[in-house]
Amino acid sequence: MKRFLSTLLLIATTLAVFAQTGLKGTILTDGNSTPLVGATITLGNQNISTTTNQAGQFSLTYLEAGDEEVIIEAPNYVSVVELVQLTDNQTLDMGTIILQPDMSREVQNEILLNLAEQDLNDDEGRTQEQASAASSSSDVFNNLTSFTWSTARYRNRGYEQLFEQNYIEGISFNSSERGQFNFSMMGGLNDASRYKETVNSIEANNFSFGGLGNATNYLMSASNYAQGWKVSAAGTNRNYKAAARASFCSGPLGNGWTFMGQLAFRFGPYTNQIAQIGEGIDYYSLGYFFSAEKKWSDRHRLSIITLGAPTRRGQSAAVTQEVYDLTNQYNATKWGWNNYNPYWGYQDGKMRNSRIVKSYDPTIILGYEFKIDNDQKLHFGLGYHYSMYSNSAISFYNAPDPRPDYYRNLPSFLWDGQLTERGGFITRDYNDMLLGTPDKNGNIAVQYYNGQAVGRTIDMANYKTLTDLWTSRNSDATQINWNSLYAANYANNVIDPTGSASYIIERRHNDITEGMFSLNYSNTQFDHLKMTAGLEVKESAGIHYKTVDDLLGGNQWIDLDAFAERDIKELATNIGLSQADIAMVKQNDVNNPNRAVKEGDRFGYDYTIYMNTTKAWFQNEWRWNNLDLYYALQITYSDMKRTSAMLNGRAKYLAMLDPKQENIYLGNNHHYFIDPAFKAGFNYKINGRNFIKLNALAMTQAPLARDAYISPRVHDRAIETIYTHDNAKSVKDFYASSQKIVGGDLTYEFNYPIVRGRVTGFYTRFWNGSELNGYYDDESRTFVNQALTGINRRHCGIEAAVAVKLGTYFTLTGATSIGDYRYVGNAYSITSAENGMALASKMDENGKDVPVFELRDSVMINGLHVANGPQLNASLKLSFFHPKMWFADITISYFDRNWLDYAPSRRMYGLYYGTRADGTKVNGSFKQVFTDNGAFHDARMLEADGVTPVLDQYGTPRLQEPYRYMTEQESLVSPNAWDRFIIDVSVGKLIYLANRQSLSINLSVTNLTNNVNLKTGGYQQSRLPRATRQGITDSSNENSTITSNIWKFPSKYYYAWGTNFYLTLTYKF
Amino acid sequence: MKRYTLFFFAFSLFALSSCEFKAPSSEQFFLTEEQVAEITVDGRIYTLHEFIDSFMTERGNYLSDTVQYRSRANDGDDIYLFSIDTLPSSGPGIYIRGRVTTDDYGGNFYKALCIQQIVDGKQQAFRLSIDMGSASGMYPLGQEIIIRCNGLAIGRYANQPQLCIPSYNNNAYAQNAGQKVGWAPGRIPSARFRAATHYIGKADPSLLVYDEITDVKSITDRTDIVANRKMDAKLVRIKNVHYTGQYSNNGTPETCSTGNPEEDGNANVFAPTTLNVNYPQSRIVQDKSGSNFCVSSSEYAKFAYYYLPGADSTGVDSCKYYIGDIEGILGFYQDNAGNVSKYGVDWDDWSVTIRDLNDVKLYLNGDDSSQENLWKRIEYMWKKEFTPA
Repeated sequence: MKRFLSTLLLIATTLAVFAQTGLKGTILTDGNSTPLVGATITLGNQNISTTTNQAGQFSLTYLEAGDEEVIIEAPNYVSVVELVQLTDNQTLDMGTIILQPDMSREVQNEILLNLAEQDLNDDEGRTQEQASAASSSSDVFNNLTSFTWSTARYRNRGYEQLFEQNYIEGISFNSSERGQFNFSMMGGLNDASRYKETVNSIEANNFSFGGLGNATNYLMSASNYAQGWKVSAAGTNRNYKAAARASFCSGPLGNGWTFMGQLAFRFGPYTNQIAQIGEGIDYYSLGYFFSAEKKWSDRHRLSIITLGAPTRRGQSAAVTQEVYDLTNQYNATKWGWNNYNPYWGYQDGKMRNSRIVKSYDPTIILGYEFKIDNDQKLHFGLGYHYSMYSNSAISFYNAPDPRPDYYRNLPSFLWDGQLTERGGFITRDYNDMLLGTPDKNGNIAVQYYNGQAVGRTIDMANYKTLTDLWTSRNSDATQINWNSLYAANYANNVIDPTGSASYIIERRHNDITEGMFSLNYSNTQFDHLKMTAGLEVKESAGIHYKTVDDLLGGNQWIDLDAFAERDIKELATNIGLSQADIAMVKQNDVNNPNRAVKEGDRFGYDYTIYMNTTKAWFQNEWRWNNLDLYYALQITYSDMKRTSAMLNGRAKYLAMLDPKQENIYLGNNHHYFIDPAFKAGFNYKINGRNFIKLNALAMTQAPLARDAYISPRVHDRAIETIYTHDNAKSVKDFYASSQKIVGGDLTYEFNYPIVRGRVTGFYTRFWNGSELNGYYDDESRTFVNQALTGINRRHCGIEAAVAVKLGTYFTLTGATSIGDYRYVGNAYSITSAENGMALASKMDENGKDVPVFELRDSVMINGLHVANGPQLNASLKLSFFHPKMWFADITISYFDRNWLDYAPSRRMYGLYYGTRADGTKVNGSFKQVFTDNGAFHDARMLEADGVTPVLDQYGTPRLQEPYRYMTEQESLVSPNAWDRFIIDVSVGKLIYLANRQSLSINLSVTNLTNNVNLKTGGYQQSRLPRATRQGITDSSNENSTITSNIWKFPSKYYYAWGTNFYLTLTYKF
Repeated sequence: MKRYTLFFFAFSLFALSSCEFKAPSSEQFFLTEEQVAEITVDGRIYTLHEFIDSFMTERGNYLSDTVQYRSRANDGDDIYLFSIDTLPSSGPGIYIRGRVTTDDYGGNFYKALCIQQIVDGKQQAFRLSIDMGSASGMYPLGQEIIIRCNGLAIGRYANQPQLCIPSYNNNAYAQNAGQKVGWAPGRIPSARFRAATHYIGKADPSLLVYDEITDVKSITDRTDIVANRKMDAKLVRIKNVHYTGQYSNNGTPETCSTGNPEEDGNANVFAPTTLNVNYPQSRIVQDKSGSNFCVSSSEYAKFAYYYLPGADSTGVDSCKYYIGDIEGILGFYQDNAGNVSKYGVDWDDWSVTIRDLNDVKLYLNGDDSSQENLWKRIEYMWKKEFTPA
């Protein structure tokens, strides 16, 4: 018996020893002497990974024998791929592996962070999507494109940033209100944000359910960082000019604690130099990061993290082609000459920007990880985040518009009224008199100035004077004239000391306070199965208000709505109001009428949107020899409620108009949503080197709070579909306001020692998206808010990337993305005046004219391209690495298929047909459309004459020039092929010093050839050029008309920066 | 540690509040007479009448072919209602100065300023046509300004002299467009006007001088078309008048209706709709000798739909009981559109444009202690039955 037991024990011990087929090794860097902490070691075939410890060591056990590909990666280091053969019951020791720093990547990450924190919001345009700072990963495609294509504002698969999920230590930091992550909170903290796990698009995800776009989890626990000091200094000619950083990690101390901290200071003072990148922009940012981690054995780990980056930065604006052309001439021979910025002007001899963003997101995170056993792990996260974000702007009351690039201030305004219906200059007057002396062919000689044809009815002297002001960059005329604003206020102080200032700088605040809790549980106790589940709870409040930033010498500002005051006559016609009632309508706070506000006081609006989001999800991942399979399910509960600290006069007025609707305008209604999501996918391993992956996702998504309210500054009225949802009697109604998304991708991936890469096809369909726009409407001559719902679109395309090793020193990488992102249906809009006035009238059933306050119409966007960056991108990169630590690379990129963002106001059904979907008449529609007999026809008469317009393939009537220029989506791609290329280079040197010290220098130059003609984005202005048709005595006729003046409210564009550099010097010790 | 913490917060405050700009002194914008002398040393300050006399010609110098200007009557009369004379852009400085008499808060003036200058105790006045909405926000009532006119133009629009630039009227939608198209005085671009203009001293509306008109016939009987041009733009006070509840139908007084001012251009309010024809609406006032005079308002004025003093939904019979003074800008406007054969001066070529309702100083039975009653009537606006949509 004893022998038998001994034999059993021997067999069991032997089996246990034999079962441990394994792999181990040590990863070093920095002159082959420093352990690399946190490097990831992945076995490509078995899809198993681990990370190195503080000694740089790793170890994997219980592996399957056979050929295996070992991928060793670490942020900002060049990845290493090695082939090994694992033998049954043996542990293979790979020995010491050296990872070389990827110095250009480090610089690129910093530039990306900086790009991502910029916002290019414009008063009239919709937000331009920014490059993402979080999409870089070991994936060949992402590795090359995340930085290189950011120049052209490339968006991964055309998705908005809100589809990317960003987590810190397992806690979601995407805003509930805006949907997206605020990269400004990590401003300059490149070391702190270095370690992250990134999941591409829909793939299986261990820290969250994920979503359509990439998901990134920033790992900021102190033990992730390498021990020691690192200090760096940088100089650049971008929107800031210099940076200094210092970080220190204690490494694990004897008591189980590890500490890490970083400070990053970036600054760019006003330089008083024009025509430079960052013209008129000042920039100050101080980022801080502190992380402390305590380990009590291998089972318990507690981390405390705090970070923030108080930042102050000036902004720049998109400009029209005319402004671009005029201002370019000032400095055409110098670098970076497409940088005119209308937001600044000289004050006190110095540049002053009117648009200053101040942001600060103090954040604190508490994480606790509990390894229940070898197979189970639990992670708790608690986070608090207070996002203070504000932006300044000039506000004016009963005073001239101070914007230097206001359309009336441009030379082209002289064209107004001087163009034919076809858009050319008139050559004959109304009486058919020839304007000027004809040549032998009967044509009037064209006069030119500055390369621009000028009509015979334009006063040339005046045109020259205005043009010269622009081409010479006369700062009084082409920049904000601060002195004239002060002077106007001083003059008004004298005649009306208690009156409102003519001009002030107001500050628009959008603070968000968020409390978050997360729970993540993983279990690997069952063979082939990994189970993950999570719970995320977020309580948020979006706080919106304005303050007076600077009275600009005025005595005070009176808190009234200028549009409401100006349109009082129209307001009065809506209802029998007394003078006192009318006085109430213009009040921003009825409870504090005519309040005089001073610097620092709140005014205008003061409302809060409370939001609660709770997500519960689980995921099962199955892994077999040839197949990995996963599926995941998520349920999201969200709610929102708006409250206001001010009783707005227009809200009260609208409630008075129809007491039955009072609850809608003043009710502080609570809206809640439940949205499911499901995803699944597999990875079929053809062999150890070739893989086929398929992922699919279906989900619904409640409208974001920022898009949920028609006029959130004024009242509580939500978009219409939310009321359908609130009063749902069916499942369809319940999801009337939610966006539905179905998408998937199919990938072929290959991984050979010399070459690796992938090809992916993707297709995503969106239904019922919503968004909110605001603009000045020339038809009703007031500011309107337009809520769009029912936005349907489709994104499909192919991504491909390949990396080839060319001998010892060179690597060639190529990537391309070809997409087609389009709207696949018309949207629906509700337009209402911010000041509450009626926008049209309509006959009721008794034949009586009644005012209409909300216009309903279709928006003809079917077939338009989604304007989220170029849809054809390609890059080729040649990298050089010399063992003596020289690095260099050159990348050439090509960008194509990029379109202008459309203005919904220009695509309204009523503008083509004369009558809106709600039956109200449009006062001024597009004049001429093609008709089925090939002739042009006056759009105003389409219905009356029973003429059928010719439709394009998407069902939108085709317009005659020049009206089609006002509606058709413009390509942003230059006809000159060279303008579509950008060349980037970088070069670096690393010097190892004694005692594990090192010094590195890196220079990255973007857009080496100074291509300043690459348009990265842009938008159509919402305003349409209109003129009054005088003498229309029949009120049933249109007395407004859309003119042929395409110069009046042309599109605005963003351009790529000219040649810019980033030089860093880093010392590690 | 404490020191480092303090440093950090101090720096944060610096970063967030840095780049504060020193506000310019208010004094630097309001020129003294010495400074005026300094900036005009390259030329001369003309009185407003000197300016008109020196630079405004009958035929204008902008077009060689004066037929293109509209005239009041036949070509042989050699009287042109429209003209443009450009001013040299270089050479000696050409300056004019005056105190602003208009205020556009009420919405009754649009992209125009009037200035007055007191010369030898008498008022001279002039119009400035500028492409600047809400100009009073920058050039308020009572503010004296000085303008360098070089490179601009002086012209007549409907016989009203004004500082301007040449502009081609191609408004095909205008009534009688065939007679209106052509070169005419246009608005000076905002940037150019701002660059040409300085404040002199601080605004003081109390320094404005009103020419008092006790007998309106003393105005309407002026038939000299050329001489009348210098009457235009004067700040005046018409004494002891009351509204008659009438409007002028090409010179014939007719009683206003009680119609809806949104639809009826003859409604008994200050300025009912013109259905986008966009002309000033005239309402007749009568002085104590029974002579008529037009008071002009824009349909875009904030008070446009207010009842005339004394009028209400039943009619205009009570208007005559509201008696007093009306202040405003005197206008002499002669446009031949629609009536090319017309010549001479009609009484309704004259008008006063009120700046806002404060210019209407009428009282029940002329008793200023009853002002409160009047304002109650004025505030009793036109009403319309409302039916929810």
